[in-house]
Amino acid sequence: MQKPPIAIFALGVFAALSALLPLGYLLIRLSAGIEKALVELLRARTLELLANTLLLTVSVTLTALVIGFAQAWLTTRTNLFGTAFFAVLGTLPLAIPSYVLALAYTSVFPGFNGFFASWITLSLATAPYVFLAVSAALIRSNANQEEVARSLGLSSFQVLRKVTWPQVRPAAMASGLLVALYVLSEFGAVSILRFDTFTRAIYNAYRGSFDRTAAASLAVVLVVLTLIVLYFEKRYRTNYTRIEKQSRQLRINLGGWRWPAAAVLMLPAVGSSILPIAALLGWSLSGDDWDPAEILQALGASLGIAISAGLVIGIFAVAVALWNVRFASKLSSGVELTIWSSHALPAIVVALSLVFFGANLTPAIYQTVWLLIFAYLILFLPNALSVITTPIAQVSTSQEQVARSLGLGKLGAIFKLVLPMSKAGIWAGIALASLAVLKELPATLLLRPNSVDTLATKLWAATETLSYSQAAPYALLLIIIAGVPALVLNAQARKLISEVNVK
Amino acid sequence: MTLLSIKNLSVKFGEQEILHDVNLAVENKELLAILGSSGAGKSTLLRLIAGFETPSAGEIWLDGKQVSSSTNLLAPENRGIGIVPQDSALFPHLTVRGNIEFGLLGYDKAQKHARVQELLKLTRMEEFADRKPDQLSGGQAQRVALARALAKKPALVLLDEPFSALDAELREVLRAEVKAVLKAEGATAILVTHDQEEALSLADRVAVMRAGTIIQVGTPTEIYNEPVDLGIATFLGDSVLIEGEVVEDKVHTALGKLTALNHIEPGQKGVVAVRSENFYLQPNPNGDSEVIGRVFFGHDAVVEVQTPSQKIRARSNGPFAPEVGMRVTVWVRGAVNFYPNSARN
Repeated sequence: MQKPPIAIFALGVFAALSALLPLGYLLIRLSAGIEKALVELLRARTLELLANTLLLTVSVTLTALVIGFAQAWLTTRTNLFGTAFFAVLGTLPLAIPSYVLALAYTSVFPGFNGFFASWITLSLATAPYVFLAVSAALIRSNANQEEVARSLGLSSFQVLRKVTWPQVRPAAMASGLLVALYVLSEFGAVSILRFDTFTRAIYNAYRGSFDRTAAASLAVVLVVLTLIVLYFEKRYRTNYTRIEKQSRQLRINLGGWRWPAAAVLMLPAVGSSILPIAALLGWSLSGDDWDPAEILQALGASLGIAISAGLVIGIFAVAVALWNVRFASKLSSGVELTIWSSHALPAIVVALSLVFFGANLTPAIYQTVWLLIFAYLILFLPNALSVITTPIAQVSTSQEQVARSLGLGKLGAIFKLVLPMSKAGIWAGIALASLAVLKELPATLLLRPNSVDTLATKLWAATETLSYSQAAPYALLLIIIAGVPALVLNAQARKLISEVNVK
Repeated sequence: MTLLSIKNLSVKFGEQEILHDVNLAVENKELLAILGSSGAGKSTLLRLIAGFETPSAGEIWLDGKQVSSSTNLLAPENRGIGIVPQDSALFPHLTVRGNIEFGLLGYDKAQKHARVQELLKLTRMEEFADRKPDQLSGGQAQRVALARALAKKPALVLLDEPFSALDAELREVLRAEVKAVLKAEGATAILVTHDQEEALSLADRVAVMRAGTIIQVGTPTEIYNEPVDLGIATFLGDSVLIEGEVVEDKVHTALGKLTALNHIEPGQKGVVAVRSENFYLQPNPNGDSEVIGRVFFGHDAVVEVQTPSQKIRARSNGPFAPEVGMRVTVWVRGAVNFYPNSARN
């Protein structure tokens, strides 16, 4: 096995150690004051938070499953008109950060907060994940089986229940568990809608007291919940065997039900994108208490931080992908696994542990943009890695061997062949990481230097004082510069829309 | 002059020995084919020559320098060996021109241009110079891959089953072209293939590989006419095995007394290998054999004949091939190779 260049080794090991840092440091801190932590946890308040978090997680997951499955089935298996249009509508909520959605609703309906508000908002925001996974599974599943079932005398509803659902159940379960992870780590929306889950309680405990034991204890409970969901998610994750696209897919004739079906599909789309965007536009246009200069400044800061963080993340992602693909070893796969392990950690937990770590061990970078970028590296390296690994893996061994035989060394082959060939994928990975940074809220709130305001923190500050017309322009900007590009770059969504189009 | 010499080369992956005691010498400007079925170790041998694997034992010498041994490995980029992989492996982000000039690192602009033009012309790719690889046909892609490998005038070019992905007709045309290009460049080349027709028609010499070792090296005629063992005899072309015994200077078989090509000792028992084109079927109403099947190919036909002792397949001139049901007498034309039982294993 070939040894990786030293720079790749160093970057990879640094990234893996960084990924271990949040959880490791949290545990070290807690074990130092275990009695105090136990006292914090054994209060009725913890039980209430647990009940709230579980209730919200379960109800949002089930609702997202129902909405997403209905959207997927109607757009891929029926003769509904305009399926491509509905496919786009179904993915649209991906362009809107959930806290922006929450802000839009609460600004229109003053009493819109608490459990029901959080339930509706998060269900609309997460349904696209189910929609994407299930429709991909539906498109890959073998429609011939459904035709056989029909020929054996089953009605279309029986076919749906007995043949179609079993085929897509693994995909639906996996995406449902992803939604559960999303809800567990969700911070902005539940805070704006004032529903107390662990994330919000962690933030408030952190803000409310100099003793961070309470926040840290709650964070550990949240991590445990996350790990439980993650365990099930790993069990249900499936690799689909690719079935050749069939020339003709069975599409169920909805007949007169086409219009009601279209209306049902329009409802979540209107609720999750059209209504909130209209509301935000309304606030932005009617309000006169926002300052263009301030907005421009926040935009500049946001873009500056996001692009620098994206580039840093991109460099690490390229190094780890090169190591794992071209110089694979046990160590390299261990590094990759470690990096992925931090992916499911709620951002607020990562941020909190970096606050401890930064304040105590690296005061030089605490409350500077460096620690913030370090947090983004831990949080979003997996996002970039998943995009960047594929194109690098597509450079075949024989192409690399030809390059070597033509006189290029190990590094020469990387710089003259592997990187140029995977250029587009690398930029896509950097862009996705930057867009994720733009939308990020909890880590930015906890770790930013006091002098720096980004679009997300400005929006947050304005909502805290209920100044919706001040918050609205930031929300719209976030949708335009972060949400929409992220949706356009989302390979899964693009693939689905093109496949739905082929009849 | 010997350009490449391989001495007692062995390689193990884990416990499994892939190559065992390989010895081979390649002369300057020669085109050598390594022929063997899949799994014989051909591609591993190429990877060793190119420097992508380290031998467990033995040595490789290139142009008077030791380039591989179990302790010493000259990096692939420093060997000056061009490779043409099976899948052509063109660089998709570069044009045809970009691919060909990829390896011309130390050349100045004018030299680079001149060399690329020369190769474009030689491979008849001039009008496609600015195309990207995904706009080329399979045959064009292989011609570019060859031009890319030849660009730096390497000491040696390795071609790994370069025609296997192409359809039969294109393969034949491209073989002739590749041979012409290699000869025009005065290149020394090793071609790996599992296709005996390809090896025999293209190469100056053929090395036959089996189970990780080279069992015979010779000109195509030698390999075809005097295979050293029964395995090669049956691997190369359609052979029928007939049992026989050496009596005096002839091999006595059910199909008559045959002359042996190789050395025989009276009293030996064994088999002779008769190629299907060496049978002559004489129509004879009183013959002891009957035609039981016929596959017609136009220019010739393969006729299946039941003789009193066994079934044989004979190649016969197409339009005059006997019909199914006809009785014939079977003759063997020319001399045959005899393989005593003692040498079989």
